[in-house]
This record gives sequence, C-alpha cells and structure tokens, in this order.
Amino acid sequence: MKLSKHIILPAFALIALVLLPFFVNAERSYLISSIFLCFCYIIIGQAWNLVAGYTGQISLGQHAFFGLGAYTTALIWLHDVTKTGYYFDPVTMFLSGLVPAIIAVIVGIPLLSRLKGDYFALGTLGMGEIIKVIFVKGGSFTGASDGLHLPSGIYSSIMPYYWTGMLLALFATLVVYFMIRSHTGLALKAIREDETAAAARGINVLKFKVLAFSVGAFLAGLGGSLYGIYLFHINPESVLKLDWTLYPILLCVIGGAGTIAGPLLGAVFISIVFSVADIYFVQMHPVIAGILIIVVMKFMPKGLIGLIQKK
Amino acid sequence: MLEILNLNVIIQLLINGILFGTMYGIAAIGLSLIFGTMRIMFLAQGSMIILFAYICYWLFALLGLDPYISLFLIVLLGLFFGAGIYKGLFKGAAAEEDKNISLLIAVGLMFLIENLMTVFWTANPRSISTGYTSLVFRPVGIGIPFTRLMGFILAIVTTAGVILFLKKTFIGIAVRAAAEDMEAVTLLGINPHKVNSVAFAVGTGLAGVAGVELATIYPFDPFFGFIFVLKAVIALAIGGMGSVFGALMGGIILGLLESLASFFIGGGWADAVSYGVFLLILMFKPEGLFVRSVKKA
Repeated sequence: MKLSKHIILPAFALIALVLLPFFVNAERSYLISSIFLCFCYIIIGQAWNLVAGYTGQISLGQHAFFGLGAYTTALIWLHDVTKTGYYFDPVTMFLSGLVPAIIAVIVGIPLLSRLKGDYFALGTLGMGEIIKVIFVKGGSFTGASDGLHLPSGIYSSIMPYYWTGMLLALFATLVVYFMIRSHTGLALKAIREDETAAAARGINVLKFKVLAFSVGAFLAGLGGSLYGIYLFHINPESVLKLDWTLYPILLCVIGGAGTIAGPLLGAVFISIVFSVADIYFVQMHPVIAGILIIVVMKFMPKGLIGLIQKK
Repeated sequence: MLEILNLNVIIQLLINGILFGTMYGIAAIGLSLIFGTMRIMFLAQGSMIILFAYICYWLFALLGLDPYISLFLIVLLGLFFGAGIYKGLFKGAAAEEDKNISLLIAVGLMFLIENLMTVFWTANPRSISTGYTSLVFRPVGIGIPFTRLMGFILAIVTTAGVILFLKKTFIGIAVRAAAEDMEAVTLLGINPHKVNSVAFAVGTGLAGVAGVELATIYPFDPFFGFIFVLKAVIALAIGGMGSVFGALMGGIILGLLESLASFFIGGGWADAVSYGVFLLILMFKPEGLFVRSVKKA
C-alpha cells in the first residue's frame, strides 16, 4: 500500500511531462525550455543531495565537475575522439560523467581523508577555483577564456533536449534513490550522523565518502554535458561559474536536503521563481534567489518538504 | 627578461605585495572574530567590503567627501550594520546546532548584496581618483604609492586597535572567552547574543576599513566581493583561526605570494598558486602558521 502511494503520484507526473510537448507548441514555448532547465537543476541538485544531503559533506566544488562534464563533451566532439556522432551521443555523455568522477576520486582521497566540515567545504571551493584557472589558462586546447564553440548548425529542435533532460533527471533521481536504499545508503547516512561512530561500526568512512563524492561528480558531469550541448559555446564564464554550485545548494535547501523528493520540489520551485523573475524583473533573479535562501533558512530550515511532512 | 630581474624590481614586488596584503589581512581579522564566537564563515564579508567601497565612492563623488574622512562615518555605519545583521538574520540560527543554516544565510546575504549593487550601480568597475591617487613616494628609488602606504598604516592601526579592544575591554575579553568556550561564558552570566553581536559589529566595522582601503587603491565592481572573501579565507587559513595578528600576517603572506606569482608565473596563475597553497595548508597545517597548536586534554 505504502509503496503504491509513493509510485502513483510520480508516475502521473512523469506521464504528464511526457505528454506535455504534444499539447503545446514546443519549439516556441517558453514553458518547454523552462522545464528543460528544471531537468538540469534536478540532475545537479540530486548530485549535491547525495554528497551533502545524505553524506553530510558540503561540497562547494560542484561547478568544477559540471564544467568538466561540459568541457569533456566539447573536447571529445571537437577532436572527434570516439567517432560516434556526438550530438546526444550516449557514449560521449557517459564519458563526460566519467571524467569528473575520476577527477573526484583523485582529489577526493586527499581532501576527504584530511578535511572535515567547513574545511572540506573550503577545500572543494579551492579545488574548483584551481580547475577554473586551468581551463582559463589552457591555451588553444581549452580555448582559454573564449572557450570552445560546438557546431551549432546541428540544432533543429528543443525536443531532444527535453527528452534527454527528462531521462537524465530520472536517472539521477533513481541512482540516488537506489543508492540510499541499499547498504551503501545506510553507511552514508551513518557517516553524516556521526563519523566516529560509523567508523567504530566497521564502516570504511573514506571509501564511502569518496564513492558518494565521485557519484555526485558523475551526475554533475552529466548535467554539464547536457547543458554544454544546449549552449554550444562552452567557456569558463558559462559552465565554470559558481552559480552551478550555488543553484544545487539553493534547490536542495529550499526543497529539503537529504530527501529524494526535496531536490525535485526545490528544482520546480526555483525554476518557477527564475522564469517569472526573468519575465517580470529582468536581471533581478539573483537578488530574489538571495532573499529566498535567507527567508527559507530563517523560517523553515527543513525546506518545503518539512512543510509537507508536518501535515 | 633578465635585465628587469634586478633587486629593485624584487623589492618593488615585495612592497606592493605587503601593502596590498594588509587589506586581505583586515578582512581576515573580521572573519576570524565572527568565526571565533559563532563558528561560521561569514561569506558575505567580501560583499560587505564592496558595499562600503561603494558608499565611500558615492560619498566622494556626490558630496566630495575625502575617503579618509568618510572612513570614520563608514566604520560607524559598519558597526551598526553588523549588529543589525546579527539581530535580524543570525540571532535565531546562532543557537542552532546545525551551523550550515548560518552558513547558507551568509551565502544568501552575499548573493543579495552583490546583485543589488549590480542592479543599482551596474557591474562597471569604479574607482576613486583624488588629488593624491597617483602620488608616489620614491625613497631610494623604490616607488611607494601614497594610497597603499595609507592603507598599510590604516591596517596596522586597526589591528592594534582590535588587539587592544580584545585585551583591555570587558566585552573584548568576553569575545575572546566566547571563542574558547561559549557555554562557559554563558554560565558566567554573559549574554551570548551580546557577545555575538559585538563580534559581528567589529567584523563589519573592519569590512568598512577594508572597503575604504580598497576604494582608494583599486578599481572594484560588485563581483569582486566574492573573490575578496575567498582571499580573506585563505589569509585566515595561513595565519590560523583565532589569532588577530596571525590573520594580518596571513594576509600579508598571501599578498606577497600573489605579487610574486603574478610576476614570475603570469597574471592568471596567481590565483591557482594561492588556492594551491590554501589546499596544502588546510591539509598539512590546518591550525595555521601563526598559532601554536595546543591540544586540548
């Protein structure tokens, strides 16, 4: 009974989203592109949710993984590495997740073994900025501050973005969902609650932290890859900006971090706020985002999901 | 390349580094005080500094007020701002066990201030140009810009002031004690909210000093604030949390590092070098270079 209740609502929402493009003029609709962005937010939101919400490691370096994903896609495409036709190529997208995941393991082992709490947050921030400098200074390989241009002539419709975005958002949510329901999830939550106690119970704390960190990086990289294909112009300003760390935090916090539905709610909420703000108060939306974070943290620190659960 | 690599250039680099670094140091002292009592990184500090730099700019542009005169006004304003921000935003969250709430409120505040400034005053860089902006002293052939020298003196005076405040006044001693053990201080009958709001007020007052310094030395725009607070955090990590003098020294070391790295390796890489040093210090000497590590029994 409980399970069916948990499945019916999401299933209806999913069917509605699948059918939606057939009822509106998709190519010209502002709605469809807003929902596409919402999917991107869900992907990166779930990534942060896994690392910070469930494992308790506040990562401020997600923008680096997001940017790495976008750059990997662009570099594979421009250098014709995998010979698989690159527009929405699953192989390219997978590799765009894999590269940040590998980097996350490499930097995660030293960072996670030595730094805790605030210090870890600051360390990841430092890491993100170093990666950004490397891309800005990468010369012709990364296109320096001008970045890389993908062949944008290939664009014909927003629909593939919409479907892929939906699939990846679903994928990200399911990955986090099944990870959390498994033994791994128990270990992660134990680490969040009390690291020493978890270690005393025989949990290999570092292994699980690195696992969560790199899966989070994988998902963020996927999001970056999708967004990179959407932009066609990948440069440090667009894909390595700190917003890609702040947005996932914002939506997890608003929705409720450490829950599966929280980031979904949060992503929908901030997409609506951003879209409305973009139409009615151009360039004011970061201001509104700032006010929102403050208000939410002050009055409902558990997020929107806390309001629902209270009833 | 080699002929410019003489002693004079090196000395010039060192002096510029030290003078610029004091600004990071001042910002770091503010962060350190707030961190001491509340255990949060007040990430909006950088945006506050830019806000004060703008106020300084407008006082100069509209009223013709000299930056060093408006300094007093701005510091006063900073003290009130800090107490107000604490009362309005952080009072409730400060008591919570979960420090992430306060951290995220600070992030929200940073977002808010930064973008409000962009909306009101555009993202174009501004700078103050007074009669003495381009004034340079040249004792023994080494150029010392007047504004940077003033900044240095300001920083030293401010640091001395903060140290005196923390050592000689009752509330200053309470702030120091609270950094050691908030619970014990509360048990002694000191209102923790008062201690927190004083720490906050002094922290933002220092942001005022750094803001005026910045406005006189360097062109600034609203988004400079975030970079600035990161630099202050690095300075704090180098100097060690909870040491006023260490924070200033950390700032100076960071200034030196940047000045040398941008000359020898190239402009854009300076940031990577300072973040690299930051990571290394976090990992291998997290208590900082200027704090003797005392293990609690």
